[in-house]
Amino acid sequence: MSYRKFLKKMKPKEQRKDLEKVEQKSIGTSITENLNIIKQKTGNSPDIIIRMLTFSHDPEVSTAIVHVDGLVDNPTINEFLVQSMEDSVQEKLEEKDLFKVFSEKVVAVSSLETLKDWDSLFLALLSGDTVILADGKNEALIASTRGGERRLVEQSDSEITLRGSKEGFTESINTNTALVRRIIKNPNLWVESMNLGKQTNTDLSIMYINGIVDTDIVKEVRQRLARVNLDAILDSGYIEQVIEDESSGLFPTITHTERPDAVAGNLLEGRVAIFVSGTPHVLIVPAVMIQFFQTPEDYYVRFPISTLIRMLRVFMFLISLIGPAFYVAVTTFHQEMIPTDLLVIIASQTESVPFPAIVEALIMEVTFEILREAGLRMPNKISATISIVGALVIGQGVIQAGIVSPAMVIVVATTAIASLATPNYDIAISARLLRFAFMLSAAIAGFYGIILGLIMLIVHLASLRSFGIPYLTPLAPLEWKSLKDTIIRGPIWSFNERPESLHPQNPVRQGKNQKPLPPLKRRMVRADTKEGDKNES
Amino acid sequence: MNRKWIISFFVAVCLPFLSGCWSSIELKELAIVSAYALDKKEDGTYVGTFQLINPMNVPGALQGGASGQKPSIATYTATGGNPLEVADNASTKVSRDLYFAHTSLLVISEELAREEGLSSILDAMERGLEFRTTTNIVISRDIKAGDFVQVLTAIDQVPAEKAIKSLDFTEKLYGENIATNLQKFIKAAVSTGKEPLVSGFIVSGDIEKAKTMEQLQSSEGAATIEVNGIGVFKEGKLVNWIEGEKSEGTLWVLDQIQQAPVDIDWEGQKEAISYKVIRQKTNVEAKTKGGKPVISVKIRAEGDLRAIEVPVNVTDPHVLLRIEKVLQEKIKDEAEATIQEAQKTKTDIFGFGEKLHQSEPDNWKKLEQEWQDVYFPALDVDVTVEAFIRRTGMRNNPYLFDLNKKSD
Repeated sequence: MSYRKFLKKMKPKEQRKDLEKVEQKSIGTSITENLNIIKQKTGNSPDIIIRMLTFSHDPEVSTAIVHVDGLVDNPTINEFLVQSMEDSVQEKLEEKDLFKVFSEKVVAVSSLETLKDWDSLFLALLSGDTVILADGKNEALIASTRGGERRLVEQSDSEITLRGSKEGFTESINTNTALVRRIIKNPNLWVESMNLGKQTNTDLSIMYINGIVDTDIVKEVRQRLARVNLDAILDSGYIEQVIEDESSGLFPTITHTERPDAVAGNLLEGRVAIFVSGTPHVLIVPAVMIQFFQTPEDYYVRFPISTLIRMLRVFMFLISLIGPAFYVAVTTFHQEMIPTDLLVIIASQTESVPFPAIVEALIMEVTFEILREAGLRMPNKISATISIVGALVIGQGVIQAGIVSPAMVIVVATTAIASLATPNYDIAISARLLRFAFMLSAAIAGFYGIILGLIMLIVHLASLRSFGIPYLTPLAPLEWKSLKDTIIRGPIWSFNERPESLHPQNPVRQGKNQKPLPPLKRRMVRADTKEGDKNES
Repeated sequence: MNRKWIISFFVAVCLPFLSGCWSSIELKELAIVSAYALDKKEDGTYVGTFQLINPMNVPGALQGGASGQKPSIATYTATGGNPLEVADNASTKVSRDLYFAHTSLLVISEELAREEGLSSILDAMERGLEFRTTTNIVISRDIKAGDFVQVLTAIDQVPAEKAIKSLDFTEKLYGENIATNLQKFIKAAVSTGKEPLVSGFIVSGDIEKAKTMEQLQSSEGAATIEVNGIGVFKEGKLVNWIEGEKSEGTLWVLDQIQQAPVDIDWEGQKEAISYKVIRQKTNVEAKTKGGKPVISVKIRAEGDLRAIEVPVNVTDPHVLLRIEKVLQEKIKDEAEATIQEAQKTKTDIFGFGEKLHQSEPDNWKKLEQEWQDVYFPALDVDVTVEAFIRRTGMRNNPYLFDLNKKSD
């Protein structure tokens, strides 16, 4: 044995041969051999902890507890496994079937199961479960002891709302599904689990509400996930990229969120959520364009306000898309469109600028993109320096040096703010890239070029599909009933049907006549009492 | 799939280089023409003067610019056979592309307007791509149009702006002139039932000095641009000037008064009570009676008393009624005087013919040919005025009235 160990250390290639030798499908009866297999397969990693327990009255019967350090909940193992097993050692074990005794009398954890094959044993072990092996048994007892250090449920950084839940998803898939279950307490909220990634064995769950969701969509999701054969899944982004409809386009056809309430809302509309272990970003399919301009908060505030804000967002998206292009077009092609006074101001500013408007715009846009990228990736302490340098470079230096006109700086800054104010980063980044294309087309052909670009963009958007749903639904194809939750947000009491395009099994969302009906007479609630009727002035 | 991408990539790359930057022009390459003045030489060619905005010298446009030291405009003069040829010839002198889309003022000299008329000029203007049909037309009286656009102005840095603003404000607040743009002029000129009106401008003072920065360095200035009179056109040519009260009368009949002062005599004292119109409506009705056209003009005015220089008890409704009556007479006189003047010159500047065309198109066809020369001068116009005093201002009785009472 020691010779083998020696060989292992000296020649790693030999080790592989050994592994092939011991490659066995199911667990053997000898505990020492089983433990050796475990040690070999894990390369004797020190975080695989093996603890032997022998019963004093019967030294022949030895058991072993195997778990991975850090992935397990230590108090559970100590109290309910090790302690109780040691206690039971004192008792005389009459029952022959040791595991039956363990599972029925000794081990006090919530879930226990027996396994016979190595693959599932390792998966369980590496997921944080504890494996109990016994001599003479060709199976293993798996006690659910998952735990260890995890990030707590915190407020999401990327999706902030003033009103509404402050909870955000964490990296733990169980916590995440539980957060949604806490919102939708309904047995029809179904979860399907799977394991993807050849090397990472990442847990993945799809969640939907049975009875609402279109089963074809679920089937499509299952099919697309079934053909995933990636080496590793480090984030839901990996999954997104292998199951989306249009992989090379600029627009996202799958949306993701960090907010349980957003997932719940989408599930209730008949969508499917995909949870991936190790990331707080939960994917939601199918996604349509208009979703990227909506936030959960829209539904929490009163409808006229959220309607205006949604319109503002679409407007901001347009600014971030064609803002600089518009300026370039108007100053190099359509000077007649600028009011005379403004034209004089712009003309006086560009008088000393050595570049054409398009070059000016490109300089400023690229500078801004560099600043944004620098600010995003730098540690917080350094990013303050970057913003100061950026403000000086853009705000002062460039203008004083006469390289870029102040009007152009205003345009670029407005565009930048508009782009940052777009609620969904995925769509904002699409606009950010397309902006350059629009600037070029504006420099070539003015408004004609911009319009041409917009037409091409709309044609492209209309051609996109997300899990069978046209990307511009409900605007194109037009669905009158669903229009009240698009750019406008109708009142909650009018949302009587779920979105048609998702073909929900149960299209009725809520009872009719949900509009509040205040009493016809404008009187105080406590008008009967003497103090009450004086309240109205 | 691969080929599709390669082809589209090449198309995308080639497109910018093939098309170039069609019709693109940078702001730096433009000379923004703010006003265009046309004079006529003895040999029949046009002399055009271009008032160009010099953006660097417009104060406020650029921080730390050379504001207040150099004129904010530059002028160039060129000659040619028609207005656009003039512009082409001017490009030999100007280093930039003359840009007419922001030309807000077209100045025609009185001489040119009288002798040649505007018809041939305006065609070139309207046909051109850059010229706007909303460009205002004015006539420079007694001076060359070229001199007019060279005069610097103090408050408005661009003199063309100043001319247009004073035109707008006097039309609005004083009711003695009328802003006419290309579109309006052409529309009225081609109509048989209406003749166009164009406001006149004069420059009073030392014109030569007013062209230099000296003009801006004193509070008074060497010369001022003033709105003066309304020019009446017939068949595209200037035939007459309407001035003073008559021009106000013109605006009354034309339903163009927005705010206008009316001063009336009271108990022998001249212009003792001043009245300001705040709302006005004029209805013109045209009919034919036995083949003869009859026009009735109904003017309804509403306004406040502005100043009272005689002791009069305005708290008494009977007194107010008497004042209203005098006002009505005064407005009626103004309107009738204007109509008579127009009839004398045989120019239907009020568009009575157009009204008749609208109300009785069949009869109009018979009258149309001889409207201006035969029917309009002989027209029987019935003017009725209804003036109403809405308020007496912030006071009731004038001080004078209270003083008199004390001495009684």
